Amino acid sequence: MERGLERGSVVFVGQIDVFVKKVISSLIERRPVKDIIEWGVMYSLWPVHLMTSCCGVELAAGYAPRYDIERYGSLPFVSPRQTNLIIIEGTLTRKMARVARITWEQMADPKFVIAMGACAIDGGLFWNSFNIVRANEVLPVDVYIPGCPPRPEALARAILMLQDKIRSQGVKREDIELLERYVGKRS
Amino acid sequence: MQPTQSSSVISKDSDLEMLLHILENKLQNIIIRLYPDKSGRAIYIEVSPDKIKDLALKLLELGFEHVKSVTGVDYPSENSIEVLIHVGSYLRTLRKYIVIIKTRLDRNNPRISTLTDVWPSSEFHEREAWEMFGIYFEGHPDLRRLLLPEDFEGVWPLRKDFHIRTRKPGEVEPPWK
Ligand code: SF4
Repeated sequence: MERGLERGSVVFVGQIDVFVKKVISSLIERRPVKDIIEWGVMYSLWPVHLMTSCCGVELAAGYAPRYDIERYGSLPFVSPRQTNLIIIEGTLTRKMARVARITWEQMADPKFVIAMGACAIDGGLFWNSFNIVRANEVLPVDVYIPGCPPRPEALARAILMLQDKIRSQGVKREDIELLERYVGKRS
Repeated sequence: MQPTQSSSVISKDSDLEMLLHILENKLQNIIIRLYPDKSGRAIYIEVSPDKIKDLALKLLELGFEHVKSVTGVDYPSENSIEVLIHVGSYLRTLRKYIVIIKTRLDRNNPRISTLTDVWPSSEFHEREAWEMFGIYFEGHPDLRRLLLPEDFEGVWPLRKDFHIRTRKPGEVEPPWK
């Protein structure tokens, strides 16, 4: 500016970071970028390793070579920081419900919950016990799988349904806001 | 084919006969009643709560050296709580049998002498029975909660009047009873 304007040059007035933020937030809402985000989320559903009960055996079978849910784009992982899906495998006792909630709060956004088994839906075998917490009392559940235990195919179906849900409803608005804030900080 | 009578099955097991005989001889002044169950592997012994320590010492002498579980059953209509103590042994001759000690306590004030000095393995089981049923074991070295979370609301969750989903507070039986 101090050197004076040459003819034909473009002048940006205002703060560059505000401008970048606005552009990014409008782009994230638009189709191509939104599609790419959804596509990325859909095929990177990584469940955290949190085995609450006997349904965990079916989960292990589901991700083992015979049923191989990994081919749908879902890979079990260990740390809650590096995962975005929590599968409640069956019974949630009071103590374990607390652990599940803490794990869920540590996970990266956008995050999803699958409640597996009759126990996670309504207590199942332990219905009416003093020590049972239903999964939807502590976590926002996206997909329920009935059965005691559900077969590994049912779990695969749930993963596919969750992908359908992400594709049709998109990633939740608050998650996009979080993403925006993150991107805005970096710019 | 005639269904096999349970008593005839039991009488074929001469080991059990012998064990019952020995137990009856040893314990006749202490216990109320003694009988085997249908499978012939478990022996029930009914005893009054004040004699339980004598019984425990006698069983220890015989070779039953560890407690497998201590549980309770709540009978609100009879105003009593039944304590069940499963006792087992690692001896070759006795390991296939379980002795189940049954005793009835007053529901308003369930107190019983602890068995930790006879069978140290009953310590944790007694703690569990304490937190679930409120059975007070007199002389227990460390009677506090074992499995329940520290901030658990309400007391004695396995008693029949504990508030659960289908039972209103103060109600004793579930509605379908
Ligand atoms: S639903 Fe059945 S298999 Fe699953 S945790 Fe409950 S009891 Fe176990």
